Amino acid sequence: MGVQSIFDAVISLDSDKVVELVKEEIGKGTDVSSILEQGLIAAMDEVGKRFSEGQFFVPEMLLAAQAMKAGIDVLRPYLIRSDSKSKKGTVVIGTVKGDLHDIGKNLVAMMLEGAGFEVHDLGVDVDTDTFVNAAKEKNADIVAMSALLTTTMPTMEEVIKAIKENQLKCKTMVGGAPVTQAFASRIGADGYSEDAPGAVEKARELLGL
Amino acid sequence: MIKQFANLLTQDEVVNVHEASLEILENVGLLVRNEKARQIFKRHGCQVDSQTAIVKIPRRIVEECRKSFVPRYTFTARDPKYDKVLPDDSPVIVTASSAPNIIDPKTGEERRATSTDIANIAHLINELPGYDVFSISTLAEDAPEGQFSLSRFYPALKNCLKPVRSNTPNMHDLKQVLELGALIAGSEEAYRERPFINHHYCPVVSPLTMDVESTEAVIYLVEQGLPVYGTIVPNAGMTAPMSLLGTLVLGNAEFLALATLIQLIRPGAPLIYAVLSTVADMRSGAYAPGAIETAILQVAHTQMARFYNVPSGGYIGLTNAHVNDAQSGYETGMLTTAALLAGADLFNMGGLLSSLMAFDYAKAVIDNEIALMLKQLKCGIPFSKEEMCIDLIAEVGPGGTYMDKVHTLKNMRKVALFPKVATRETRGRWEEDGRKDAHQRALQEAINILKKENPAVFPPELDSKIRAHFPGLVPGEAVFND
Repeated sequence: MGVQSIFDAVISLDSDKVVELVKEEIGKGTDVSSILEQGLIAAMDEVGKRFSEGQFFVPEMLLAAQAMKAGIDVLRPYLIRSDSKSKKGTVVIGTVKGDLHDIGKNLVAMMLEGAGFEVHDLGVDVDTDTFVNAAKEKNADIVAMSALLTTTMPTMEEVIKAIKENQLKCKTMVGGAPVTQAFASRIGADGYSEDAPGAVEKARELLGL
Repeated sequence: MIKQFANLLTQDEVVNVHEASLEILENVGLLVRNEKARQIFKRHGCQVDSQTAIVKIPRRIVEECRKSFVPRYTFTARDPKYDKVLPDDSPVIVTASSAPNIIDPKTGEERRATSTDIANIAHLINELPGYDVFSISTLAEDAPEGQFSLSRFYPALKNCLKPVRSNTPNMHDLKQVLELGALIAGSEEAYRERPFINHHYCPVVSPLTMDVESTEAVIYLVEQGLPVYGTIVPNAGMTAPMSLLGTLVLGNAEFLALATLIQLIRPGAPLIYAVLSTVADMRSGAYAPGAIETAILQVAHTQMARFYNVPSGGYIGLTNAHVNDAQSGYETGMLTTAALLAGADLFNMGGLLSSLMAFDYAKAVIDNEIALMLKQLKCGIPFSKEEMCIDLIAEVGPGGTYMDKVHTLKNMRKVALFPKVATRETRGRWEEDGRKDAHQRALQEAINILKKENPAVFPPELDSKIRAHFPGLVPGEAVFND
């Protein structure tokens, strides 16, 4: 049960094991999309479920995401060759101008990647133009912004405005400790989530996946 | 006064924490994202890697800077009678600040705060005797473009004579706010004589990173000789080790890095060793400033501050509660009591719920009462032969009463604190009075104050001058319709 053991290795937060098992499965000729879907992505869904139920703490979610990402890195060359169907969409993500806090943003980026999205992480202290240019250049489906400081949060609205002014078709998502659904709605963001697993759900929902 | 502060570390352990911090600054260093700060460190002999922006601070430089640390920090007020000096006037009680939201006093619902809310809160804080410094409690959602900070500082200064404190997100806002200060003072020189805007930043983002904008503001203000201090905010499990001692060491290293930068710019510039050291709730990653570990860390940081002979304190007494309930009370009460007994000087504690996310009027009034209790606790037991009352005890003797003694009449209005929120009624009277809980009583007290005219407002001529100088400025009037 090769794919099942990949699933188990992600749940046990063992990156090395995941890499080893993914290589083994590829060698055996197992369908790469089943390694991805039933092995890695299914495992992250389970991790998200355990987190929501309070069984998993945040560091466990983070380590599982790292294990899964390690697996995807091995899988990536084969995925591009086999089919692009497994790519769920492209996300440009960053912490807004004036803000250096990136723990939450990194977790969301990793979880999105784990769910099969192509993620371009712009880092921290990202200004409006950088968001807009990256969205154009990468042909992003979603632009996701994070802020921890209440004083930098208003910058999110500027980015959303600029995206609309540039008539980009991408959806926008916002998150971070001070951000609420009400704030997200008011500034015209398409999506908001309280936590990282929720962000993945929201991204799927926005793209109708 | 408190004659023996509570300690959680021995003196040897304090020295060990200091040594460990020096080792970190020398061997690991900080990521300094601000160019000017890197140049200052470099000029004074720190090792600066221009590729990685890592700055390593040799111990001799930190130790040299320590020699210019000063033990006092002054909060200047619009009205000099409200000036506060740390540690002489401690505990100095400050509102907690920059929440985006407010609990609407009429609907009880959370909503975004506005500049009018800031004006009302400023009026309230001006009137509540427990508060010494008004750190601007909320943001102002109605701020016109280009006046983000002005829309906070103007209503705050207009309605409060006590020292006003807050931050600005960039240099444009900082300079605009200083312009406002000069207008109020009458001239730039007059403002520099008594700089009543007290700037605060968190330029160090844990772990071991100095940011661009806040660091820029700190450098500018220190160069100008204007008041500024920083708070160090490590969060165990997230941005600091999942260890109380490890977080103390990291936070202490970060304080020393900031203090070193400040002393390199202007030796003798006043400092506060201010922290908000917390332990993250790893179940969800939630920020937990109301956790008891925040108090444990505050006590230890206060010991470190005593070792450096600088005033101490920080955001202590915050709560994670979303309403003014028992949790809100016990978190604020326990955390501040611990910090007070440890000798902390500065308490950024008042008025906010939901871990700094929302201001609540009743919370501010209850925290005022907690503040008065802390001040009373700090007074301790005045000790003298006379206070021992040996003659009086002999006079009354066994079985008598002190009720009818002149001594009692003379002292009964000053020995004990008379709370306004806490009830001392019998159950029957309390029921007759509508079974009001502390929140309801506190909210009523806030409304009573807000309905009165505010004595602190600007003279009309000054106000028109300011309004002409900043076109489109928010009204900044305290208006409260019941």
